[in-house]
Amino acid sequence: MTTVIRTSDLVKRYGRTRALDGLDLEVDAGQVHGFLGPNGAGKSTTIRILLGLARASSGVASVFDAHPWRDAVALHRRIAYVPGDVSVWPNLSGGEAVDFLARLRGAAHRDPGYRAEKARLVEAFQFDPRKKGRAYSKGNRQKVALIAAFAVPAELYILDEPTSGLDPLMELVFRREVARVRASGATVLLSSHILSEVEQLCDRVSIIRAGRVVESGTLAELRHLTRTEVSFDAGNAADAADGTDASGAADASADTAFAGLPDIHDAAVADGRARFTVDSDRVAGILPALASRNVRGLRIEPPSLEELFLRHYGDEIGDGAASAVEASAGSSHTAREGARR
Amino acid sequence: MSALGALLGQRLRRDRWQLVLWVGGTALLALAAVGGVQQSYGTEADRQEVLAAVAANPVIMLFRGLPSGAELDAFTLFLILPFLAMMAAFMSSFLAVRHSRMDEELGRAELVAATPAGRTAPLVATVLHGIGANLALAALVAACFAGAGYAPLGSIVSGIAAAAVGLVFLGVGLVAAQLMRTSRGANSLGVWVLLGSFLVCGLGNALGTPSSDLQRIESSWLTWLSPFGWAENARPFADDAWWPLALCAAVAVALTALAFALQRLRDLDGSFIAERAGRLEAPASLGSPLGLVWRLARGSVVGWTVGGLLTGVLATSLGAVIDEIGTKIPAVEELFAALSKGGSLEQGMVVIFFTIVGVLAACAAVQTVTRARQEETHGTAEQVLAAPVGRVRWLWAFLLVGLGAAVAVCAAAVLGAWLGVQAKGADASLAWDALVAGAGQLAAAAVFLVLTALVFVLAPRLTIALGWVLVLVALLLGMFGPLFGLPDWVTNLSPVAVTPVATTDGVDAKGLWWLLGVVAAGGVLALGLMRRRELAAGD
Repeated sequence: MTTVIRTSDLVKRYGRTRALDGLDLEVDAGQVHGFLGPNGAGKSTTIRILLGLARASSGVASVFDAHPWRDAVALHRRIAYVPGDVSVWPNLSGGEAVDFLARLRGAAHRDPGYRAEKARLVEAFQFDPRKKGRAYSKGNRQKVALIAAFAVPAELYILDEPTSGLDPLMELVFRREVARVRASGATVLLSSHILSEVEQLCDRVSIIRAGRVVESGTLAELRHLTRTEVSFDAGNAADAADGTDASGAADASADTAFAGLPDIHDAAVADGRARFTVDSDRVAGILPALASRNVRGLRIEPPSLEELFLRHYGDEIGDGAASAVEASAGSSHTAREGARR
Repeated sequence: MSALGALLGQRLRRDRWQLVLWVGGTALLALAAVGGVQQSYGTEADRQEVLAAVAANPVIMLFRGLPSGAELDAFTLFLILPFLAMMAAFMSSFLAVRHSRMDEELGRAELVAATPAGRTAPLVATVLHGIGANLALAALVAACFAGAGYAPLGSIVSGIAAAAVGLVFLGVGLVAAQLMRTSRGANSLGVWVLLGSFLVCGLGNALGTPSSDLQRIESSWLTWLSPFGWAENARPFADDAWWPLALCAAVAVALTALAFALQRLRDLDGSFIAERAGRLEAPASLGSPLGLVWRLARGSVVGWTVGGLLTGVLATSLGAVIDEIGTKIPAVEELFAALSKGGSLEQGMVVIFFTIVGVLAACAAVQTVTRARQEETHGTAEQVLAAPVGRVRWLWAFLLVGLGAAVAVCAAAVLGAWLGVQAKGADASLAWDALVAGAGQLAAAAVFLVLTALVFVLAPRLTIALGWVLVLVALLLGMFGPLFGLPDWVTNLSPVAVTPVATTDGVDAKGLWWLLGVVAAGGVLALGLMRRRELAAGD
């Protein structure tokens, strides 16, 4: 498989702040690659370097094995780009702005193929192309860039938080378009902080924090690194073990509910449910023990992308819930980070 | 009431520097007029000559006020009152739109209207704010005239006359803001009404009836259709008539009431004149960076070009008039001799007016290049440069359109000069002089073009400020350097002052080669450095 985007040890300094701090990213051909991180993590800076709008302070970046700064014009013939905060020209209509951007990318003035594609997208995105740029809302400005990007075929789509401001219906249209270009063999770099979007669309995910990639892999791989949560009705477990009286129920059930379960962590009983976590590759090992107890209301939940994400960012939120997640996951994270260095 | 107070306070705070500049600028204009009259037309005989010349060439009244006698104070107001009123009118019209339609357009009005302030209190606050600004303007202008030793009553009438026109245009701005969907549309409607009524007033005066001694002119009925005409017919210092100003007040009240009535009829964000729908598809020309820059700049380029045409017409057609005045008033003659450097007086006029053409062309060029910076900060440049468009080609498009704009302004001025010669039946060689001066000023304008581009490449944040300051400094040095008796080398720092001129014996190339050298070197440097420049992050 060929690599379309490759950066290694990419650094970008703005004055004394390091927007990128040794970023390593690889995107293979034909992939939809999720680029996850909150605002300010360095997603847009990376994209600006990949587009040759900014130069790296040090490190290497290549797109289609070419230099994004030196070979910008040649590369841009193969790339479609949607920024996260689209600006349009106030006195150009939306239709004019779409046509202009598409023509810069090579669409011919009277090309019927382009016109049909544009008409289809205008319809699908329910876009009114006759309004002047200054009259468009955030979502409609976003549609200008999306229509221009998808109306002309490209080999690489660089999408920087493309759905901000779109309503859920339009987001669905967007996902359909991404699926379409992927089916035609294009590569997509999708920067986002909408986890459900990434979960649905992406083959691989890179999580970026403070200018470096802290986690990269398929969703299945990433899930392997985390623990699965298991919970069941606590009352049932306690009854099954023995007939302890109600006054000591909490303590007794906490001890008894988890007896005999191997390799479990964070065991606790709360709100009538017993919960614990287990390494995702050891879930099978606990099933016999659970089966023999005849537990009721059993729920086994693989980690969501939210949890993956919070493992790297939970400490920034600072409230109780987030730090609990961090506490359960932080130690393994630090260990891995250390090993990488 | 507390909501009204808060709204008023917020308006004052937002406008504090802007209003200081408008009101202060108007006062400075009044002071400059007082000084200018005392210097150039010091004796009553001088002033009588000028007024007689005006009566003989009424077209001058398009750019001046209404003659009301040759006394020092009344004569000063003849020269300056229309412009004091114009300042007040621009200030008020923009103020009205800024605090009504623009707030609505940007969504701020919605936030305010959702509070107990409601929809009406903001409009009341805007009216009070505008009245306050005009009162301040009236007081300061009156103080300037009174401080110069003019009669107190006439000084007060002068200030109030300017402010009264301001109040009328406060009303015009408020009504325009109700009618139009965008602040841009409302502002242009205001400006068109303003320029139209200014012109109507001047035409009415030009068609007026001079008194037998040619010192005073009675306006024709046309003037009475314009607020500027009412202010001028107050004739400060000569008549000190209040009743024409009452007309201003009545119309201001009526327009303001109309604005309140219209606002009651419409939804927030609604308008009575819908914005025209845009094109469904881009025209064939809009397919390259060059096409985009032309599309963005064409409106203002047309404006500057019309300015060039009018200046060109004046350059040759006013020459004869000035000749007439100049031979009778030694101070004026000296002034033109200093500026024309040895040519005839009419040639001097061409040089002076084409210096203005050079500044107009430079403005057109600089404005086009500063659009590159606006595109960059606005974020639209990013999308263009993310397409297969090189940085150098992108900047080149702005330079090319900027140069084209300067060519258009200078060519229109030369054409205007030729028309002026034809109309006046003046010496045909003046058209040749104009051609030489126009071509020379084009070189000067190109210098500003490349300097602004260099600033854009090297210090993008300074582009807009520095670009315009360079033009302003060049204008001041080139136009007023000889007047203020600055040494030649200081005056010659200004590109507009070292362009070729036609003299009685041929063409003096002066600094032409220097100018062309700077243009070539600056252009190459700017484009070369652009190769290495990053796009600044939008902010």
